[in-house]
Amino acid sequence: MTSKNLKVDIGGITLNNPVMTASGTFGYGKEFESFVDLNRIGAIIVKGLSLKPSKGNSPPRIIETPSGMLNAIGLENIGIETFITGKLPALKDFETPVFVNIYGTTIDEYAALADRIQDVDGISGMEVNISCPNVKAGGIAFGVDCRAAADVVRAVRLKTSKPLMVKLSPNVTDIVEIAKSVEDAGADSISLINTITGMLIDIETRKPKLANITGGLSGPAIKPVALRMVWQVARAVKVPVIGIGGICSAEDALEFFIAGATAVQVGTANFINPRATLDILEGIEGYLETRQIKDIGELIGSIRS
Amino acid sequence: MTIQETATVLWNHSINTEYAHIGLACGAGYADARPGQFVTLRLPDRSTPLLRRPFSIHRKISANNETTGIEILYKIVGSFTRTLSLAKEGDRIDLLGPLGHGFSISEQHRKISLVAGGIGIAPLVFLYDALKESGVSFSESAVFIGGRTQTDILCKSVFSSSNIKQFITTEDGSEGEAGMLTAPLSRWLKSHRPDMIYACGSMPMLKAVIAIARLEHVFCEVSVETMMACGIGACLGCAIQTNMDSEKYRHVCVDGPVFNAEELIEG
Ligand SMILES: Cc1cc2nc3c(=O)[nH]c(=O)nc-3n(C[C@H](O)[C@H](O)[C@H](O)COP(=O)(O)OP(=O)(O)OC[C@H]3O[C@@H](n4cnc5c(N)ncnc54)[C@H](O)[C@@H]3O)c2cc1C
Ligand SMILES: Cc1cc2nc3c(=O)[nH]c(=O)nc-3n(C[C@H](O)[C@H](O)[C@H](O)COP(=O)(O)O)c2cc1C
Ligand code: FES
Repeated sequence: MTSKNLKVDIGGITLNNPVMTASGTFGYGKEFESFVDLNRIGAIIVKGLSLKPSKGNSPPRIIETPSGMLNAIGLENIGIETFITGKLPALKDFETPVFVNIYGTTIDEYAALADRIQDVDGISGMEVNISCPNVKAGGIAFGVDCRAAADVVRAVRLKTSKPLMVKLSPNVTDIVEIAKSVEDAGADSISLINTITGMLIDIETRKPKLANITGGLSGPAIKPVALRMVWQVARAVKVPVIGIGGICSAEDALEFFIAGATAVQVGTANFINPRATLDILEGIEGYLETRQIKDIGELIGSIRS
Repeated sequence: MTIQETATVLWNHSINTEYAHIGLACGAGYADARPGQFVTLRLPDRSTPLLRRPFSIHRKISANNETTGIEILYKIVGSFTRTLSLAKEGDRIDLLGPLGHGFSISEQHRKISLVAGGIGIAPLVFLYDALKESGVSFSESAVFIGGRTQTDILCKSVFSSSNIKQFITTEDGSEGEAGMLTAPLSRWLKSHRPDMIYACGSMPMLKAVIAIARLEHVFCEVSVETMMACGIGACLGCAIQTNMDSEKYRHVCVDGPVFNAEELIEG
C-alpha cells in the first residue's frame, strides 16, 4: 500500500481523516462504542447542547419518508454542564477530537455557551447551530438572516479561540450570502447542510404525522440539495467547508470532496449502519488507493466542467 | 453486549396470510439476551426502507445447551416485513442486538398472568420459556391471547407444554370468547390474584390492562412500541412521557421497551 495522506485542516485544527459524525446522529459518542472504533473517526460532533437541559418536543418525533426521515426531536439535550461532568470524561479516553455543537435562543445564550466551553479540556472546537429560533425576532431562525447569523458568530468569536465551525441552515433563499456573512464574522469553517424543513400528513386522520407538525428532512433524499449548496459555498468562501447531507457511502462523500468540501459529516447513515463512518472512511481509502491519489487534498474542489 | 453482525436465515415460514416467523443463526451474544429485549434488522443491499426495523426476540434457538440463534415472530404490515417474508434459508440479514431493557423475573413473582394482543405475543413466548426455566409451575397462572380475528391468535400450542390456563378472545368472535381480553382478565383477577401481569400489545390495550392492574393492585410490566430510528439511544426519536419525571422524556429503546405500568401516564 502506498502511503496516503488523509489529514485535513478544517480551520484551526488538523484531523487525521475527513470523516466526522453529524450532530444529533451520534449521541454523545459512547452510544456507538461497541460498533465502531471511535479512535478512527476524524472528529466526533456531539448532540446539540444548550445552557440548560432541554426536554424536546412531544412524540411522535420521527417518521420515515421516501429515502429519508423527518425528525422533530426539538433539540432535547442534557445541558452543557451535565455534558461536561457526565459525558465528556468518557470521551477523553479517545484520541478523536470532540466538537461540541451549541445552540441558543438568544445571542447571549450562544455567547455564554462559548464562554463556558472555552477553557474546558477535551473539547477541541465548537460547531454553532444557527438554525434555531431567535426569540427576540419572533422565532425566526438566526440562520436565515445574514445580520442575525453574523451577530451570533461575532458574539461566539469574542468568547472563544477554539476552532469555530458554523453550521448553516438550507432553509434560505441564498445560502452563499449567509456563508459569506458568517465567514466575515469570524468563522473558522462552515458546515452545511442542516435538515430541510418538511412535513407529512396522515390522510385517514388528516393530522400531521409529527406532533410538532413540521420536522427536518435528512438522509439520502437531501443529498443532491446538500451537494449543490456545498459546491456554491465552497467556491464563494475561503474558509474550509464541511459537507453534510445524506452521505451514506464513500461515493457520496467523494462527491462532496470533489464539489469542494474539505471534510464531511455522516448523519442519518449512523442509524442505518452504526459502522457507517468507518465503512465510508475505508471506501475513501480504497478509492484513493486504486487511483493512486496520494493526498485527499488533490480531490478537494477538483470538479471539472 | 450489543453487537452488529451478519446473521444467516435458518428458515422462514409463514403461519397464515398475515404472520410469519424467521430463525436467524447468530453469534454467542444472545446467550444472555433477556425476554423483552429486541433487535433491529436491515436487509443488506436494499436501500428501501431506509431505517432499521425493531423486532422483539420471540425465542432463543439452542443446540447442545448453547444459544445458536434467535427466532422472530412478525406481522406483515408494510414494505420491510413484506420483503422479510421473502427471505430464504441462507440469506443474510444485518442484525443488531440485543437491545433495550427486558421484563423482570423474580422469585417473588410465581403466579403470573401473560396478556398478549395480536403480535404482542412475540416477546411473551420468550418470557414464558424463561419463567419455565426459572421454575415457575404455571398451575396458578394464565395466558390471555386476544386479537381482531382468528388469524391474530398465535402460539397457542406453545402454552400446552404446561398447565397454564389459556383464555382466547377475538373481537369478531371467530375464535374463543367474543370481545376484548380485558373481560376474561378482569374475571380471572377476581379469583386468582397474580403476583405479576406481563403485557404486550397495542397502546389502547395496554392502557386498559394497566387500568385493571392498578384497580386490583397487581404489579404489571408492559412492553411498548414507538417509532425508532437508531434503537441505541442516539437519535432520541423514541421519546415517551412517564410519571418518573415530568421534565424529561424517557426513551423506549434504552429505558424500555418494558416499563413498569406505574411509570406510564394515565389516559
Ligand atoms: C421494541 C419493538 C419491538 C417490536 N417487536 C415486533 C415483533 O416482535 N414482531 C412484529 O411483527 N413487529 C414488532 N414491532 C413492530 C415492527 O417494528 C413494525 O411492524 C415494522 O417496523 C414495520 O415495518 P414495515 O416496513 O413492514 O411497515 P411500515 O409500512 O414501515 O410501517 C407499518 C407500521 O409499523 C410501525 N413502524 C414502522 N417503522 C418503524 C420503526 N422504525 N420503529 C418502530 N415502529 C415502526 C409503524 O407503526 C407503522 O405505522 C416492534 C416494534 C418495536 C418498537
Ligand atoms: C435525529 C436527528 C437529530 C439531529 N440533531 C441535531 C442537533 O442537535 N444539532 C444540529 O446541528 N443538527 C442536528 N441534526 C442535523 C444533522 O446533524 C445533519 O445536519 C442532517 O441530518 C443532514 O445530514 P444527514 O442527511 O447525513 O443526516 C439532527 C439530525 C437528525 C436526523
Ligand atoms: S430509537 Fe434512537 S434513541 Fe431510541
